[in-house]
Amino acid sequence: MTSTAIGDRKFKRALRRRGLGARVFSSTMKKRGAQIGACWLGLLLCVAVFAPLLANSRPLLMSVDGVLSSPAAKYFSAADVALVVVFLLAVLLFVWRQFSTGRNLLVLTAAGTLTFILCHLVLSPPKLSVYESYRESNVSLRADWVISAPIPYSPKDYLRDYGDTGLQAPGISEDRTHFFGTEANGADLLSRMIHASRLALGIGLVATSIAMVLGVIFGGLMGYFSGVIDMLGMRLVEIFEAVPTLFLLLTFVAFFDRSLYIMMVIIGLTSWPGYARYVRAEFLRLREQDFVQAAVASGLPLTSILFRHILPNAIAPVLVAASFGVASAILAEATLSFLGLGLVDDPSWGQMLNQAVQSSTFNWWLALFPGGAIFLTVFSYNLIGEALRDAFDPMTQRAQTATSESVTDAEQRQ
Amino acid sequence: MTLLQVNKLQTVLKSTAGDVHAVKGIDLKINRGETLCLVGESGSGKSVTALSILRLLPAGIAHHPQGEVLLTRRDGNVEDLLQLSDYAMSEVRGKRISMIFQEPMSSLNPVFTIGEQITEALQLSWPDMPEKVAREIALESLVEVKIKDPQVRFNEYPHRLSGGQRQRVMIAMALACQPDLLIADEPTTALDVTVQSKILNLIDDLQRDKGMAVLFITHDFGVVAQIADRVAVMRYGEIVEQGGHSDVLYNPQHSYTRSLLNALPENLPRQKPQQASSEVMLEARNLKVWFPVRQGLFRRVTSHVRAVDDVSLKINRGEIVALVGESGSGKSTLGRALVRLLAPTGGEIYYQGSEIGNLSPQNFRPYRTDLQVVFQDPLSSLNPRLTIATTLTEPMAVHGIGDSNDHRIELASQLLDDVQLPRDCLWRYPHEFSGGQRQRIGISRALAVNPKLIVCDEVTSALDVSVQAEILQLLLQLRSRYGLTLLFITHNISVVEYVSDRTLVMHQGKLVESGETAQVCGDPKHTYTKTLIDAVPRMNGSLQFQPGLQ
Repeated sequence: MTSTAIGDRKFKRALRRRGLGARVFSSTMKKRGAQIGACWLGLLLCVAVFAPLLANSRPLLMSVDGVLSSPAAKYFSAADVALVVVFLLAVLLFVWRQFSTGRNLLVLTAAGTLTFILCHLVLSPPKLSVYESYRESNVSLRADWVISAPIPYSPKDYLRDYGDTGLQAPGISEDRTHFFGTEANGADLLSRMIHASRLALGIGLVATSIAMVLGVIFGGLMGYFSGVIDMLGMRLVEIFEAVPTLFLLLTFVAFFDRSLYIMMVIIGLTSWPGYARYVRAEFLRLREQDFVQAAVASGLPLTSILFRHILPNAIAPVLVAASFGVASAILAEATLSFLGLGLVDDPSWGQMLNQAVQSSTFNWWLALFPGGAIFLTVFSYNLIGEALRDAFDPMTQRAQTATSESVTDAEQRQ
Repeated sequence: MTLLQVNKLQTVLKSTAGDVHAVKGIDLKINRGETLCLVGESGSGKSVTALSILRLLPAGIAHHPQGEVLLTRRDGNVEDLLQLSDYAMSEVRGKRISMIFQEPMSSLNPVFTIGEQITEALQLSWPDMPEKVAREIALESLVEVKIKDPQVRFNEYPHRLSGGQRQRVMIAMALACQPDLLIADEPTTALDVTVQSKILNLIDDLQRDKGMAVLFITHDFGVVAQIADRVAVMRYGEIVEQGGHSDVLYNPQHSYTRSLLNALPENLPRQKPQQASSEVMLEARNLKVWFPVRQGLFRRVTSHVRAVDDVSLKINRGEIVALVGESGSGKSTLGRALVRLLAPTGGEIYYQGSEIGNLSPQNFRPYRTDLQVVFQDPLSSLNPRLTIATTLTEPMAVHGIGDSNDHRIELASQLLDDVQLPRDCLWRYPHEFSGGQRQRIGISRALAVNPKLIVCDEVTSALDVSVQAEILQLLLQLRSRYGLTLLFITHNISVVEYVSDRTLVMHQGKLVESGETAQVCGDPKHTYTKTLIDAVPRMNGSLQFQPGLQ
């Protein structure tokens, strides 16, 4: 074998073996539970990204006197566009098999921010939403042809032009099709649920990301340096653990605006101590491991030791905890909305649950569908967390590698 | 008179990668009052054999497509253990066949006292036995295994006992029910040599007194030589050779047995001793490493554990110095302190004349290339997330070795040549290698920065004998090729004799003896060294086949 062959990229790629991350991913995805969870979350993700295209009162595309126009697109916000761009880019990267996770994340974040800023400058969606002019009966008079969204109702389209609005069970209304019925103000429930999936996914991911970043930084510092830093850090962790998330949220909502971002930040700020504990324990354990000692003995700089040798090996329990953390963040938001303290006008699953019990009758469709969605989402995250935990479990892993190792050893010797 | 006869026993273990034939139709025979040693390397199926005999393998995972395990009862009836009901089997376990395990630290329940645990074992075997009688027998059995102050120990919890004492308790528990057969699965592997020799003597005595048969599983031929009546050698689930003590050990017929015996450090072909220069490479003066013991709310330092206490030593250029001691003697701590993986509490370290013991980590960094370490555990010594290429080239890049990445990759593949691994290993991850291969990679990582001195911290302890021989020979080769100086930390006296020029003996943090290896091992001066050397189980008598030939 020559040295040129070694340097050859193709040769490298042919010999490239799967790292621990890829192994854990594939063994996680082998579990039936994780598959089901990933399916539901994938579906939810698609629905959330393409929500304005799926449920919109305005036609997606129409031709009036030979002139093409897209009333739906006129109302797209910068966030809508950025989401779609990032999603498509992620799919493309996945198809091209560019598996360098760190670089991918960087590219996606950059692309998302860039599109968001650009769209913010370029797009100016009208402030006032008028839905009536796009009703099928009106439009079909003017237009040559119309392509409307599968669910032709916007989440905030309260159908005021119809007289008989209000709570309707699925299948009651004769002239309109509401698959999941309508909510108290007369808006289509399915449409609201579709748009609410953004909130559900977003709050879980953002709040957990904040918590994870804080937890990894604090936990890592405490674990690696130990001593006084560790002692002070642990007291801080204990202080934050004593803060009740829900009451803090209630207080903030009572005093300040009902803002989604404040909610995310508060949930994130109050849930980092758990991650910090995990990371600290892992750092304490890994610091004594021989490969870290070898890195120290080789004179590697501290940044390399921390970020290259310790952190990737410490992240496993954090990921497991994060998948459960996302679920609990979703539940926290749902609880708040259920108590009537969520966002005011924007759709949220918890708020729909709240409406299910507010009127004198029990509106089963308002309980069943959003409740089912919350249940499925939380359940999916828990299933994935469970599978991740198994995949990371050193016992099962060791057993697998041990058997495969002894088999290959035996083969080699024979 | 035959006690246990195993005929064509097969054990198949289910795993995700398919069925593993762990035991492939073996025949064994143990007579009453006899010790049969089952020898083999890791993964040979010797433990699975023991567990199969007692049917201790989980039913969902293991099954026996073929074979019988015939146990002769005291009344002369023979029964096949594999056909017994679960209830009948629980009668056999403990009462007829007892087992002791390798890890004494984890085989006792930490929340019950020693006495309670032995009493419980008795009452499980004889439910009608009154509590008082059971306690008396339990206490007697503790006396039998020669534990100091058995009356006190009886009411103590396991954490108060040392490893050797716990193993005695395990033996007491196994013997309390007076079994016909004792299965001992590597009972002394986790113990120090001095403790090991006492436990081996104990098992030997008890066996003679009670006429009990022992199935002794081990990988250590020294132990075999000391206690076996008959020996069975196992490989890949098959018994390759079986016979009397002296036949198998001193006149082995099978090539595998020969290769195992050849691989023992005492049988390895010796290399010519190298002329070491008298130039002092590394010197420690009054080196101390104390670990503070903190207690209470404010973690005040109440006392110190003196891991290394006032040690002075010199290592000359080109020398191999062995540092010997039992577990807890502070030898690893000393090794790590010498390369500044631990900060010394006091004293000085001189490297080629300059003081390095009290340098700040920043100022010490230039010396990192000269002083390297190879660790004991091949499992944990490589970062599971990085390819071998990254592991090898990162230190080079940090220390400015090699001009470009491609050049460093080329250097790394030369390192793999040095440790006799194929070059395509560069692009693999650690989990794809066996223990011996990982140890080679660990050595190549140490070599990556062109060191002058390497501390080898128990590098062969976790390896099989044959792999150990390969690694030792490799280290000797590399030493002469690169003119390395090695500090070889080990507890294995035969490895010391094979590999080292000079030997330092450590005991409880202090250096008790140092000198030429031949002198220290052949004619020890210090009493501790004497007990240590005497305790090493050895094969006596010369081999009747030519060492070095297969």
